[in-house]
Amino acid sequence: MSQGYPITIYKEPDLRRSSLVLGWSEDMGNLGRKVTDYLNWELRGEEFAEIEPEDFFSLGGVAIEGDLAQFPESKFYACQEHELVVFQSGSPGVEWYKFLNSVLDVAEHHCRVKELYVLGAMISFSAHTAPRQLLAVVNSAEMKEVLGQYDLARDMDYQTAPGERPTLNSFLLWIAQGRNIPGVSLWVPIPFYLAAMEDAQAQKKVLSFLDERLDLKIDFSDLDQKIREQNEQLAQVRSRFPQIDDYINRLESNLMLSEEENGELIKKIEDFLREGD
Amino acid sequence: MGIRLYQEPQLENPILVASWPGIGNIGIIAVDTLRGVLEAEEFGEIEPWDFFYPKRVLIRKGILEYLEFPSSKFYFKRVGGKDIIFFIGEEQPTEGGRMYAEGRKAFHMANLVLDVAEKFKCRRVYTSGAAVALTHHTTKPRVWAVPNSESLIPEIRGYGNTVLMSAIEGRGGHGNITGLNGLLLGVAKKRGFEAICLMGEIPVYLQGLPLSYPKASKSVLEVLSHSLKIEVNLDKLDELDQEVGRRIEEFYQQIPSEIRGQLDRLKHVAYAQPAEPGPITEEEEKRIMEDVEKFFKKRGGGG
Repeated sequence: MSQGYPITIYKEPDLRRSSLVLGWSEDMGNLGRKVTDYLNWELRGEEFAEIEPEDFFSLGGVAIEGDLAQFPESKFYACQEHELVVFQSGSPGVEWYKFLNSVLDVAEHHCRVKELYVLGAMISFSAHTAPRQLLAVVNSAEMKEVLGQYDLARDMDYQTAPGERPTLNSFLLWIAQGRNIPGVSLWVPIPFYLAAMEDAQAQKKVLSFLDERLDLKIDFSDLDQKIREQNEQLAQVRSRFPQIDDYINRLESNLMLSEEENGELIKKIEDFLREGD
Repeated sequence: MGIRLYQEPQLENPILVASWPGIGNIGIIAVDTLRGVLEAEEFGEIEPWDFFYPKRVLIRKGILEYLEFPSSKFYFKRVGGKDIIFFIGEEQPTEGGRMYAEGRKAFHMANLVLDVAEKFKCRRVYTSGAAVALTHHTTKPRVWAVPNSESLIPEIRGYGNTVLMSAIEGRGGHGNITGLNGLLLGVAKKRGFEAICLMGEIPVYLQGLPLSYPKASKSVLEVLSHSLKIEVNLDKLDELDQEVGRRIEEFYQQIPSEIRGQLDRLKHVAYAQPAEPGPITEEEEKRIMEDVEKFFKKRGGGG
């Protein structure tokens, strides 16, 4: 571990050749948090370390979410039986390079991490009935080769548009490349009207890949049930509101909606799903 | 986090000319124009990753090929028997969403720039930025000069179109230079370098626009080249000035006529000798500022 990095280790994990899965708490569709929560729950992840927040987050007060005061957390969990490390954190607001190196310091020096999996969600203008895709960006040709046997879109071309900045996931992948840690950034497109809610199908897509790749033997029955429930709720909205059904029909036919129609669809779906919670 | 020099040029008592972006990009355009005209050679950089968030990623066929950061580069050139080191920072290392650099990172970057200056036995530093002033965009911007040592004042008094803070109306020799263009001056003082910051005037009503202001860069460059005793071809800067000038004029015509009428009075502000219809009074100055602020608030923040 580099000197001066604000890392607290509660307990040394017994890992020999592990993989690190990283998810950000405030992802679209809450994907990063949900997937890492699911892994920790299913695989009995045990918290063993954290990065202290004061160097990386604005601590001028607390954020309130869902009626509760929040505080930035950046925690590591070990699923020892499965040689898996889970890192769940808010996105740091400053000192990104130091923060991301701190993550990899813990991964390398305390967990002997051999591979890195970074989770991310992106907006999709497809309907929720379309199958979820999983896109992969890797930091080495070898990693791309290794991932060839999985159901991943692996040939993405992308360049930052003017006025935009790269994602934290790209930044981490780049640092890992410099440290010779093979890594992949996984991206799931989430229907825009579920971006502020949850997308159980997107969660399943990512988890299924991790399950297969890392041989985790996850029992997905509860997540499958959640997908069925969400699909039923969305079917109810469609049957109750013909206008919403029309919008979704058009998305299913690969047609674009106007900005106003997008807004109406988002509001109706969010209101309905919140009522159903 | 440090300095990377690709080569170690043989330099004799070089002068350092440094700049970062700021209001109207006045300083950086002046310095970068000079660097370009003199065809200065790149010889080093400050490693960026601890200071900056990346600005561009390139992914090809699913493989992350390249992550690009804002650059902070050193260049050198021998001209007229004089060695010049240029430092050009593409961004200021800001923290917590602030516009200009301040605090630990800014101090560290200023010191790294001066480490290179010291290594090559440089003792004189120039920085450059913007001076927000009650002036009009059709008048020639003056250059406000701030030295970090009393011994430099007689030299500055010999520059054309240049004023010391004590000569700025109502300032009494006081002011503030935000960001690294100012901080470098202070850190240079602490480390025993003599330094001068040259700030080109920008009209108060243009400071919030997302436009550069090359007219002021030209004023800065005229002073800088005089001080360095070198001749510089400013044709490219003139072209840029004309192009931006047209856009400023378009913007100016969109300002409501009653406010524009107030701003038009700034054309008649004269510093040495009052010209008709006379310099604006303090009360008028206050009213102009209030009208300008109201206008920009209505436009949603002035940009």
